[in-house]
Amino acid sequence: MSRQPNDAPPPEGVFPPTEAMLAQPVPLAEQEAQAERLRRVWASPKGWRILSDVNNTSVGVWYALTCLFFMLCAGVLALLMRVQLAVPDNDFLSADRYNQFFTMHGSAMMFLFAVPLFEAIAILILPSLMGARDLPFPRLSAYGYWCFLIGGIFVLGSVLFDAAPKSGWFMYPPLATKQGGIGADIWLLGLSFIEVASIAAAVELIVGVLKCRPPGMRVNLMPLYAWYVLVVGGMILFAFPPLIAGDFLFEMERSFDWPFFDPERGGDPMLWQHLFWIFGHPEVYIIFLPSIAIAAMIVPTAARRPIVGYSWIVLSAVGTGFLSFGLWVHHMFTTGLPSMSIGFFSAASEAVVIPTGVQLFAFVATLMVGRVRMIPPMLWIAGALAIFTAGGLTGVMVAVAPFDWQVHDSYFIVAHLHYTLFGGMIFPVIGGIYYFYPLITKKMMSPRLSKWAFWLIFTGFNLSFMPMHLTGLKGMPRRVFTYPSGLGWDWLNLVSTLASFIIAAGFAVFVWDLLRPKARQGDPERNPWQAGTLEWTHDVPGEDWGVRSIPYVNTRYPLWQQEKLVERMDAGRFYLPDAADGERETLVTSVIDGRPLQVLRVATTTWITLVAAALTGGAFIFPTFHWYWPAGISGALAVISILWWLWTSTALIPAKETKDVGLDLRLPTYVSGSGAVGWWAMWITMLGDSTAFASLVFGVFFYWTAGADFPPEGADHAAWPWSLMALGLLTASWALMLTARGANRRDRTGAARLCLCLAPLLALGGGAAMLAAVMLPDMEPTSHVYPATMWGLTIWTLAHVGAGVIMQLYALAGLVFGRITPRYDAPMWNVTLFWHFLALTVLVTTAVTAGFPRML
Amino acid sequence: MQDKPHRSQEQEFSEERSSLWRITFGPLVWAVHFVASYAATAAFCAKWPEPETHIDLLRLGVGLATLVALAAIGWLGWLAWRQWDFLDDHDYAHADGNSEDRHEFLGHAAFLLAVVSFIGVVYSGLPALFAGSCR
Repeated sequence: MSRQPNDAPPPEGVFPPTEAMLAQPVPLAEQEAQAERLRRVWASPKGWRILSDVNNTSVGVWYALTCLFFMLCAGVLALLMRVQLAVPDNDFLSADRYNQFFTMHGSAMMFLFAVPLFEAIAILILPSLMGARDLPFPRLSAYGYWCFLIGGIFVLGSVLFDAAPKSGWFMYPPLATKQGGIGADIWLLGLSFIEVASIAAAVELIVGVLKCRPPGMRVNLMPLYAWYVLVVGGMILFAFPPLIAGDFLFEMERSFDWPFFDPERGGDPMLWQHLFWIFGHPEVYIIFLPSIAIAAMIVPTAARRPIVGYSWIVLSAVGTGFLSFGLWVHHMFTTGLPSMSIGFFSAASEAVVIPTGVQLFAFVATLMVGRVRMIPPMLWIAGALAIFTAGGLTGVMVAVAPFDWQVHDSYFIVAHLHYTLFGGMIFPVIGGIYYFYPLITKKMMSPRLSKWAFWLIFTGFNLSFMPMHLTGLKGMPRRVFTYPSGLGWDWLNLVSTLASFIIAAGFAVFVWDLLRPKARQGDPERNPWQAGTLEWTHDVPGEDWGVRSIPYVNTRYPLWQQEKLVERMDAGRFYLPDAADGERETLVTSVIDGRPLQVLRVATTTWITLVAAALTGGAFIFPTFHWYWPAGISGALAVISILWWLWTSTALIPAKETKDVGLDLRLPTYVSGSGAVGWWAMWITMLGDSTAFASLVFGVFFYWTAGADFPPEGADHAAWPWSLMALGLLTASWALMLTARGANRRDRTGAARLCLCLAPLLALGGGAAMLAAVMLPDMEPTSHVYPATMWGLTIWTLAHVGAGVIMQLYALAGLVFGRITPRYDAPMWNVTLFWHFLALTVLVTTAVTAGFPRML
Repeated sequence: MQDKPHRSQEQEFSEERSSLWRITFGPLVWAVHFVASYAATAAFCAKWPEPETHIDLLRLGVGLATLVALAAIGWLGWLAWRQWDFLDDHDYAHADGNSEDRHEFLGHAAFLLAVVSFIGVVYSGLPALFAGSCR
């Protein structure tokens, strides 16, 4: 590709570095001066100001501890439920409270523990695994964390006010839509808010893996953990948005009586089940894959050799990522779908066993050919393999539809899902905590307490959940608050309850070991497990800079396979050993081969993320109580705070065009377009956003196949002339945006400004026309699901038009106030990218609202 | 600013010719086949006049789609096998930091994914063979 005018200058100098260059010593005085400058630039704020920190090491620890707290709360709910079930006809808990508890136990374990803990651990360790200073968008991580914390407290807190949701963690309508109180609204709005954090983490982690690897780390050398994170990030983008779309429909029904799930007005509760499980089943793998990824890091260390079957594990991660999207209906086998449809999902549910199994065999093979040391984390991994295999085998059983018809909604399912989640998540994650603890805290956990905790949890778990298979086969349904005696369930339940307290005892030991003061313990060894991957080059005692210098990596296990690596990293021999300009920086490299491309300036300490998260929280939380005005104001302030955040800290015009990064290499400091990390973030976000939109469109086609009266006989359709006008105006706005970007690039700033003055006006006109298209005909959204879906699509698109207009105005302001120039035009590219997606959304909305119903 | 030329084929393995997307093509074919089969069944059973008597039409359609998908995956698998080029150097570890190992690794991963996708599509075709009913 030839260089265009105003492109970033290409990298100059030598890459890869030669051995002679690496062997050259760095003078001691220079080393110390560099280290001092780095230390100053990366220092975390002190005292209570630490809350304004955005460094991945701080945010990651808060994230993980918050997850732990929520997990313990949800665990207490489980214990209380077990007490209630210990004996027949018990009245320890009322039915209503029991319903709140099991709903909150499931919701909290999934949304407030398992998924966020993946994000927490990945944010915490991924940069160290890749020798990076930080992730590319530290403020985004911090924002995600604060959203999670606020949303989590809101959702979980409801249980203390007797106001918690109580229709099960999957909220099936009509039970959940008809239920009084605010429980269901808390669930819908609170968890939607938390999903913002998940999407933010997905963006951060995908860009992190693809663009922030150390120089030389090609895709065939990536730590396996990074492969899994990449896959799981992609899965989040396709799994969470359907739930967000479902939440949107659900909340419209609860707040404004739009009949999406009401059969009397053409709605269908089954749509919720579809949308929920299109999210819900991949979610199980979103939880499982990153946890088993931890095993993929621990197993080679314990076996003291590289992993066997690296390509096979990549196959396993990617293959599971795909196949797990073909499983959702296996939660709906009893809903009366055509048997052929059921067959497809049964088939996919059996097929997913292949990639899932492959990685376990790769671990076993590595252990067989290695010289295994039973380090404490390995014990947990061994337990995980045993328990997960049992859960996987019952999974193969329930994937067979006729078997599932027998055990559906029974305790057999409770046993199965806990086996997969304990084996697939709890055990490997605890193993990971023992393993990475020295990296994170620079202290060691106790091997003796690890054994105690392990055997208590392992025995307690099996004693508690193994009998549930039988309880289920003997017919006990899940989610009943009590049962009469004499059905053969009594002693099984008693055993489960007693054993659940053994699990709790194990967790108490583990949490004590995790949190007990360790001040008197000396510094641990730097690489206590003699592992081979980059995170073990960390500094003891700890430093805030991530790595002293970013190494050149050309092996999978650099600590085992690259001589003098640590010594040279410490000496600042590698890349970015200095912070001469007093800025936080990290390297951006190419996706496939890890060629260095750019010095990326990363954002520092700020309060704005906390403020923005609190205001965003208001926009989600106030509607629970039907306080729409405060919600609107809070939302508007959230937008303003985010704009201020972007304006003051992103795509800053650098003082120097290129920078010396060491080892005779100069890299550009500012890149725009498809080479920029911000562009990637926009692309990834919009991919997720499009999935949510696609879910709404799926809803339209679903109603068409599911009901005979969609659209109802003689119903008014959207006014097509208005729809076409909307399409025309919005397409013109998109074209102007594109023109503005090109004109600005060619130094025709005046023309660019003119385009950007007109574009928002056309967009607003297009939005108004789109609204008129559904407003003018007789399309009352509460009357029938047909007008409601048309309105739903329109509102969704209008919200995006609003965002598009704000972005165009942002770009205009950038041009006017000199924040965007012909050379430094990254925001122009990112806004145009948003508009590409928006134009597509508008086109589809027009086709589906004005065209499709007329063809039926 | 270029990689050290390790082998004569360096040009062939240049980064520009490579893409991470390519390893997902096999699973993508599986996904398209899966969604198409599911959507066709849902629409057929809901909208076709007397679907139960004409069910063979649907079974035939799904069967044909299965054959097409299998052929596509077979072809992708063949391309990936050639990219892996196992018989040339019997390398299945690809653990070195050079362009050839990266190139062959991506081929290897794509090949394995094609195998899994192939099995997945065969599984998805089975309901048309054994469970041909809208009930």
